[in-house]
Amino acid sequence: MGTLKQTYWLLWKDVLLEIRRRETLLSMFFFGTVLLFLFHFSFEIPREQTARMAPGLLWLAFIFTGTLALTQLFQGEKESRCLDALLLCPMDRGALYLAKVFFNLIMMVVVEVVIFPLFGVLFNLDFWRLLPSLFFVVLLGTIGFCVLGTLFSALTLRARAKELLLPLILFPLMIPAILGTVRAMQILLGAGPGQEFYPWLRLLIGFDVIFMTAGFLIFEWVIEE
Amino acid sequence: MGVVLRRVSKAYGFLWALRDVNLTLSHGDFVALLGPNGAGKTTLLRLLCALHYPTSGEIEIDGEPLDRGKIHLRSAIGFLSPDGQIYDKLTARENLRFFTSLSGKEMKSAEISAALDQVGLGPWSDVYASSLSHGMKCRLAIAKWSLLKPRFFLLDEPYGVLDGPGVDLLESFLKNLCHGGAIVVIATHNVHRVLGLCTRALILQGGGIIFDEPRREPWKSFHEAFANFLPSEA
Repeated sequence: MGTLKQTYWLLWKDVLLEIRRRETLLSMFFFGTVLLFLFHFSFEIPREQTARMAPGLLWLAFIFTGTLALTQLFQGEKESRCLDALLLCPMDRGALYLAKVFFNLIMMVVVEVVIFPLFGVLFNLDFWRLLPSLFFVVLLGTIGFCVLGTLFSALTLRARAKELLLPLILFPLMIPAILGTVRAMQILLGAGPGQEFYPWLRLLIGFDVIFMTAGFLIFEWVIEE
Repeated sequence: MGVVLRRVSKAYGFLWALRDVNLTLSHGDFVALLGPNGAGKTTLLRLLCALHYPTSGEIEIDGEPLDRGKIHLRSAIGFLSPDGQIYDKLTARENLRFFTSLSGKEMKSAEISAALDQVGLGPWSDVYASSLSHGMKCRLAIAKWSLLKPRFFLLDEPYGVLDGPGVDLLESFLKNLCHGGAIVVIATHNVHRVLGLCTRALILQGGGIIFDEPRREPWKSFHEAFANFLPSEA
C-alpha cells in the first residue's frame, strides 16, 4: 500500500479524533486570541511603525499557539496507548510523520485564518490588498514550523518535561524560518526598504524542503523507544 | 524456516534485559513463555515484533533479517498486549476499519460486522471504544487480529482481562492460527491454563533461556524446572 494512502488513513483518524475531542483546536483559538489582545494592550505602536512590528508580533502568536498543538500531537496515541499498534502496522513510518505534519498544518492554518484578520483589525493594519501574498508567506513559515515541530514532538514524546523541553529545542532551530517569514512580511508591508523579497522566500522554501525530507527519512529512528 | 534468534541481547542503558538468547521457532509451534517478573519476557516479545531492536545479535523471520525498514515482514507479525491498543474515541467498527486499512487489507463493512459478531461485539459495533470494558477491548483486539491473520502471533499476559467465554474465544482463535501454520508465543503467569494448549515451553530467567522443551506427557522435566525456578507460581 502506498505511503500516501497510509498517510490519508492516519490523517483521517487524527481529524476524526480532534473533531470528537475538540480539545486542541479550541485551546489554540483561545490562546491565540488572548495573546493578540495582550499584545494590543501591552504595546502602543505608532502608526508608522506598525508594518515593521506587526510581522514579529503575529509570528510570536503563531508559534506560541503552534507549540500548544505540538505538545498535544501524539495525545490520541498516548491516551489509548496506541503508538505500539501504529508501529506494528506494515507501513513506512514516514507516513506517520507526514500525517502528523499535515494534521498540525491543518490545525494551524484554521487558527491563522481567524487570527490573521483579527490582528489586522486590532493593530489598524491596512493589509487587505496584500492578504493573499502575506498568507502565502505565513503558510511557508507554518509548514517549516510543522515539519520541524513534528519531528521534535516525536523526539520528546517520552520525555518527562515535554512541555518545557520542546520549545527549548525547537525555538532556536526555528530561527531561520522565523527570520525568513518576518523579513518577507515586512518587505511586503513596505517596511523593509532596499531589501529583496525573493532571497527570504527561497530561504523559507529551502527550510521546508530540507526538514520535511530529513523528517520523513529519519522518523523511523526518532519514533523508536 | 520460521523464526530464528542468534545470540540476541538487549540492554536498556546499563541494564541487560536479555543476554545471548538463541532460539528457533518453527511454523505450527505454540510456545508458552514463562518466567518471573523481570525475566525478560516482554523484552523478548517486543524484539520479536520489531518494536525494539536487539543491542547485539540478529533475528530472522522466514530467512530474512528483521531489520528496520523491512515493512513486509511486519505484516506477518501480530501482537496482543493487555492494554488492547485501541483508540478510545473511535467506534469498534472504525477501529477495525482503520487498522485493517493501514495494514493494506481494506475490509468490506460486512466482513468487519462478521468479525465483531464473532467476538460477541456485534451490538457494540458503533459504540466508542472508551465505553467498552477492558475485556471487551481485548475482544476487539482479537477481532482485529482475526481480520489481519498474522503468521507469527505474540501475546503478552492476555488472560488477566478476559472472562471465561473470552478466554475460550481467544484460545480457539490461537488454536486455529496454529493449525494454519502460524507460530504463537504467549507470555503469561497463568501456567496451568497455557500448559493445556502449548506444544513447547520456554522458561526465561535473568535474561536467559533456562528451559526449552517440546511438550510431552508426562512432562517431568518441566515440572522440575518449574518447581526450581518458579516456585512462587507453582
